[in-house]
Amino acid sequence: MALLELKKVTKVYQIGTVAVHALRGIDLSVEKNEYVSVMGPSGSGKSTLMNVIGCLDTPTSGSYILDGKTVHDDIKKTDGNGKLSDDDLAYVRNQKIGFVFQTFNLLPRITALHNVELPLIYAGIHKKERIEMAKEALRKVNLMDRMHHQPNELSGGQRQRVAIARALVNNPSIILADEPTGNLDSKTSQEIMMLLDELQNAGNTIVLVTHETDIAKHAHRVVHFLDGLIASDEQTPKGKA
Amino acid sequence: MGQLFESLIMAFKAILQNKTRAILTMLGIIIGILSVSLMGTAISGIDQVFEKSIESMGQDVLYVQKFPWFMMNDDWWEYRNRPNIEEEYAQQILERSSTIAFSSPSSSRRADVKYGNLSVEGVEINGTTWQEAFISSVKLESGRFFSELEDRYGTRIAVIGYEIKKNLFPNEDPIGQYVLINGNKFRVIGVMAEQGKFLGLMSMDNIVTVPLKAMKSVFGRIWWISISVKPKEGYSVEQAKEELIFIMRGLRKLRPQESDDFAINQQEAFRQQFSNIRFAISAVGLGITALSLIVGGIGIMNIMFVSVRERTKEIGIRKAMGAKKSIILFQFLSEAVIISLIGGIIGILITVGLVGVVQKFFVAQLSFSLVMISLSVAVITGIVSGIVPANQAARLNPIDAIRYE
Repeated sequence: MALLELKKVTKVYQIGTVAVHALRGIDLSVEKNEYVSVMGPSGSGKSTLMNVIGCLDTPTSGSYILDGKTVHDDIKKTDGNGKLSDDDLAYVRNQKIGFVFQTFNLLPRITALHNVELPLIYAGIHKKERIEMAKEALRKVNLMDRMHHQPNELSGGQRQRVAIARALVNNPSIILADEPTGNLDSKTSQEIMMLLDELQNAGNTIVLVTHETDIAKHAHRVVHFLDGLIASDEQTPKGKA
Repeated sequence: MGQLFESLIMAFKAILQNKTRAILTMLGIIIGILSVSLMGTAISGIDQVFEKSIESMGQDVLYVQKFPWFMMNDDWWEYRNRPNIEEEYAQQILERSSTIAFSSPSSSRRADVKYGNLSVEGVEINGTTWQEAFISSVKLESGRFFSELEDRYGTRIAVIGYEIKKNLFPNEDPIGQYVLINGNKFRVIGVMAEQGKFLGLMSMDNIVTVPLKAMKSVFGRIWWISISVKPKEGYSVEQAKEELIFIMRGLRKLRPQESDDFAINQQEAFRQQFSNIRFAISAVGLGITALSLIVGGIGIMNIMFVSVRERTKEIGIRKAMGAKKSIILFQFLSEAVIISLIGGIIGILITVGLVGVVQKFFVAQLSFSLVMISLSVAVITGIVSGIVPANQAARLNPIDAIRYE
């Protein structure tokens, strides 16, 4: 069974009196340890898709199953009314999803280590164990020597590595990277992408949103979005190999 | 549990990051809690002083006097024209009454009291009769009160107040010694126990009690007389009062349509007057307190709204990392409560300092329960003013929040 399965997912935003159809019936499944790039012009629905996959937003209709858990299903209505509550969504985000954002989204004025601890705090993990896990995650992104620095004392690349460590720390089912290199120069971008490649090699599942073809090529599969629909879904040379 | 603790620490750090703002916000609460605790302290102090002062007055004692204890300014002239209370009334009241056990005339004036080369100026010299010992609730520390016989002969003997003993006889037993009152020798036969100050202001220990006849022989003229009356056992003060009015009207030969030309005073009048004052103080105090706490609370609410807005992105990040609504709510609510609780603690510390100073002049005591009440009030203010901003934070949509710049 697929790790992530979307069926007939739609999302409609009501902006004033106008209904904006951001997603118009998406079918998408991602297998465990797959590496998928999502591409498309702005307004194509790729960000909305990321929000739905990341459980930051719920679909208007359709079904979404993540790692065996039904997040949304208004066809079968398996979980009560087929929707998870805000707190349940928070739980899914905490346990199953690791986010990497374009703007890093680290908390200022706390150390890198504490930033990485954050998901574990909300998972209710005890302090001693938490610090060990956070250090381990920072070791994976090779930032052990920087763990007591605050974000403003780190370079962009280092910040993004802290963010990746934070995404990794709770062993998520899937890592969602939304334009992770959008704010970085090309050399640092390469470093970050290599880090993501390593993580995928180590068994992680990654969904990456980007509009740079070079970045998208790191994935095994590229899904193109256009006007709320999937325009194409192809294996990259790397995926075919 | 661990999450709550972490949220508490985060709330604390958030306050530390904005110290100036937090302190300014606290000011309102500090003032509010200061007024809560000061008001409470003042009221309990006044209560204590009042009870202690009124104790010496004797609960079941009636005073027949020219002026009532509490009167309107305009009435003064009317009272002033009343005939004086005569010393003889005391005996006549006893003879005519069936409810009254003791009836004693007394008067007082100020004089200097000397012993050797020590002297106390402006002592209240209280002339009265042997019956006073049975009417007044004042206890003797040593010695005795004067007898009926000494009273009748006007023997120059004196029962001195605690302060007189302290000042004139610091190192010796005053009993049997002679003091000079207005240059006349009086033998000390008793010392009164310490009484404290009336309403915390007038010392009741700076007093010398002598037989009324002896006082008249020393000072010549007596300006006014007050008659203290105590009911017999088995009769209430009200019964005695009723009979006393009847007897006094008889002595004054008043016709039924004429109103009383004397006053019967009792402790109750003080109590009533006091409860009015106390009520006024409490009402005004409560008003000021409520007002300052509302202002303080609005200050906190305002700053919490600012804090939520400033940290919208942080809230979004926390939510993306899996923070539940309740945890975000708790974090911001604790921030508000911490600010107001610290404000409350500072307010109480200032109160403790002020009470320490005031204690030198007036009875004041900050009770433990008042401290707890004040702190609870601070916490409640924090919760009330923090709940709306905290709830706003908890309900933020994570997608919008995380994109907020």
